[in-house]
Amino acid sequence: MATETKKTATKATTKKPAAVKKAPAKKAAAKKPAVKKVAPKKVAAKAAPKKASPVKKAAVKKAAAKAPSSKTVTFRIKRGEQVDGAFEARHEDFKIKYDDSTTVLQGLEMIKGEQDGSLTFRRSCRASICGSCGMFINNRSRLACKTKIKDMVGGVKENMNVPASGNIIEIEAQKNQPVLKDLVVDIQPFYKKVENITPFVQEGAETNADVDKTSFEQVNMVSNCIMCGACYSDCTAMVENPDFLGPAALAKAFRFVSDPREGQKTDRLKELSEKNGVWDCTRCGMCVDACPKGVAPMEAIIKLRTRSMNSGVTNNPGARHAMSFKKDIATWGVLNEPVMLLKTLRHNVIKQAGNALNLVRKGKIPNPLPFDHKVEGLNEVRDIFKELEKNPIDVETRAEDTGPGAG
Amino acid sequence: MHKHDMLIVGAGLAGLRAAFEGITAGLSVAVITKVHPLRSHSCAAQGGVNAAINKQDNWEDHAYDTVKGSDYLGDQDSIDIMCKEAPQAVLDLDDMGCPFSREDDGSIAQRAFGGASFPRTAYAADRTGHAMLHTLWEQSIKNGVQVFDEYHLLEITVDKKSGRASGAIAVNIATGKIEQFASKSILIATGGYGRLFHSNTNAMINTGDGIALAMKAGAPAADLEFVQFHPTGLKSSGILISEGVRGEGAYLIGKDGKRFMQKYAPNKLELASRDVVSRSEMMEIMNGNGEDGAIFLDVRHLGKELILERLPQIRQLSIDFEGVDPIDAPIPVKPTCHYTMGGIRTDKLGMSNYLPGLFAAGEAACVSVHGSNRLGANSLLEGIVFGKITGKEMVRYMTEEGKAQPATDTSDLANVQRDVANLKARKKEGGVRAHDIREKLTKDLDMYCNVFREEKTLLKARKSVEKAKSDFEKVYVDDKADEFNTDLLTTIELGNLIILAEGTVESAIARKESRGAHTREEYPDRDDENWMKHSIASWNHNKNGIELDYEEVRTTGNPKYAPAVRSY
Repeated sequence: MATETKKTATKATTKKPAAVKKAPAKKAAAKKPAVKKVAPKKVAAKAAPKKASPVKKAAVKKAAAKAPSSKTVTFRIKRGEQVDGAFEARHEDFKIKYDDSTTVLQGLEMIKGEQDGSLTFRRSCRASICGSCGMFINNRSRLACKTKIKDMVGGVKENMNVPASGNIIEIEAQKNQPVLKDLVVDIQPFYKKVENITPFVQEGAETNADVDKTSFEQVNMVSNCIMCGACYSDCTAMVENPDFLGPAALAKAFRFVSDPREGQKTDRLKELSEKNGVWDCTRCGMCVDACPKGVAPMEAIIKLRTRSMNSGVTNNPGARHAMSFKKDIATWGVLNEPVMLLKTLRHNVIKQAGNALNLVRKGKIPNPLPFDHKVEGLNEVRDIFKELEKNPIDVETRAEDTGPGAG
Repeated sequence: MHKHDMLIVGAGLAGLRAAFEGITAGLSVAVITKVHPLRSHSCAAQGGVNAAINKQDNWEDHAYDTVKGSDYLGDQDSIDIMCKEAPQAVLDLDDMGCPFSREDDGSIAQRAFGGASFPRTAYAADRTGHAMLHTLWEQSIKNGVQVFDEYHLLEITVDKKSGRASGAIAVNIATGKIEQFASKSILIATGGYGRLFHSNTNAMINTGDGIALAMKAGAPAADLEFVQFHPTGLKSSGILISEGVRGEGAYLIGKDGKRFMQKYAPNKLELASRDVVSRSEMMEIMNGNGEDGAIFLDVRHLGKELILERLPQIRQLSIDFEGVDPIDAPIPVKPTCHYTMGGIRTDKLGMSNYLPGLFAAGEAACVSVHGSNRLGANSLLEGIVFGKITGKEMVRYMTEEGKAQPATDTSDLANVQRDVANLKARKKEGGVRAHDIREKLTKDLDMYCNVFREEKTLLKARKSVEKAKSDFEKVYVDDKADEFNTDLLTTIELGNLIILAEGTVESAIARKESRGAHTREEYPDRDDENWMKHSIASWNHNKNGIELDYEEVRTTGNPKYAPAVRSY
């Protein structure tokens, strides 16, 4: 159980962040270097770039980067450690100076270096490629190295999802994982799930060794994943079912199903269609939003669903639900929910009896037997299905590698 | 005590590739790593991996380019091995499932890189290291390699009787428990020490732990003075912009908007060797053609489509960390510490000649395939080739002369536990913060031991190292807990960096010539007669400092490798 204590703000630092330090080259500029490997400078300079000189644009950028660094922000950090198997938490405030280029990670490093060395977090590459510094910053999982302080303060920011509360940035550990200390979670459950999807190319009957330029387009879409755990942390299905494989592991699974060299594609699809697999996703989109690398795990999950149904893997609740859904709409223009539930869960529907009784009591279950109303424009609904059967939507369309941050 | 045949420290490309050899040979393999394997810094390599896989190319040309690129300090036997084995090593990765980018006919795509006579750099978009690392990690799962995830190396142990490396002592970061590992052979694959400089492209974990601790255990390092400054680190953060961008045709331009490399490397221009390009940039900056200590990397003429297709990550890094979209504006870049050519001195197959049973591979090693300057895309190659070859050599060693289990001494464990407890017990009063020591030391090295060096500045660097050494005696940590004590671990890392700082500065002071990445203003020429030799830096426990010695470059007698004027 978490206990919360408060501590007052510690002293502010007056040092500039590392990012705005003076270029080390400056001092050497005074000298006349004499190096044999460097030719004299009087060679005609040709081949100038065709476009306009960079100077103006660069100067503008520079001006922006040199905005006064006197701004102060408070990091409100949820800290704590495991005591007798429970996480004991407290909030601590730290004040730091920042400028427009300062990242949350640089801020944390300043606090650790200058104010309190015991502040604990993971970090390594500081270039959004190693995935170490995923943490919950202003209500969303983000990479601290990629998140600029200026984007987290001072009200609503475009594409930043959640407005900051004034001049305070709230930071805590990622969700859906046990917290070990301060901002550090236990990453083992996350990685165990990745290990559980058989994360390597297997030989088999379905291996196709012939590859060409386009063979890995689908693979590339998810290969940007850096296993930072942001999607796992913010996954809403995970809250309900902690055994759910989760977005990152499923996106990794998609990478193998899509690899022409993989020999066991259908077996993989069968396994992924089972409990805790692709059908447990609620399609809420949080993973797409949280991903710092544009992987869009939810899209990979939806493709896995489509591919498994296309390969005949339909004998599972998720697929039956989807088929029943489609059939009802195509036939009646409206869902027959009790029947759909029966088709989805079959004899297991009995386990839902308690829920059903509750809903009946509240008048929330319509009469399943005779349809008591006709849907207007039913023919138009049917026409839509006919049209889709003639010209199906290609779910594989989003194959292009949109690059990091595109999500 | 943990007991294994093969102990590997570091889970980047070299470590995981060696683990593959050990486990598929049926040995008991353990990998210790201070970060999860997928977070190893190999993941950050962007551009690619060199291999003569194209029919019109051949490995001899690759080897020649590498010897020349090394400014003739590379060991010719190991360079031959690396370049000859390169195609197979890349194909191994392909077989394991690495999604390399392809040509229309399905063959592995290759791009041009600096200092190379043929476009022989295979790649997976602009995240080659990431793709290769994921592939090798996948293999470690497939083969059941035992990984001690988030274990930090504290000491390499030696069996005093037989003089063999006997294992290691490491701390389980999560619990703080210090544990001992016994093994018949140990591989150090812990990467380089690029964090020695304040402006660098490296991950914060790159503190050269394995090299410093090998030196302390009696396996000296070589060529520590050769530090590669990458020509295109982002101006503000030092974050890397791959050489692959120039391979795709990017220009380097000055404040005046004009290309300048024709003055320095009229043939290869932007694709000259990295040491040459970095020096040229510094010349432009010193001559007033830079802006705010940087020059510019311009890709606008390549067009939006190509940038989005082949350089998506680069574009995003530039937007995220420099606020510049390269489609619209040139990227401000400057020479930034990127790679350390020096490392644990080994024979051509990766074993230390000074400490039997201790092997090294990848950036932590000085085999030496890079000599005084590494060619772009030869480091991923070194990782996979020497991971493989050194792994195989370890397997051979353990079935032959290294068959017996060396003795381990539990008093080693007790000593390390005592040292760690003492460090934690240091008082704040009268103490120094690790952060302050690190900031001062790394900024001083930026200033005094950079692209251009001279005795006057190097002596200032020496002073700074001495200060750091004495301050480190008084260093204290805020965090007194056992669990996840990153305050303690970053302080221990700083101790390792200080050893490497001393090795770097002392070797640089002693080397009175200019070669590869080491440019002495008062000795502008390469001096093959006196200096075509490796600097060997040993740790002397009695004097608590570095001692220097030298080793001849291993030559093969190939007339093509005879030292010549190096022009691009």
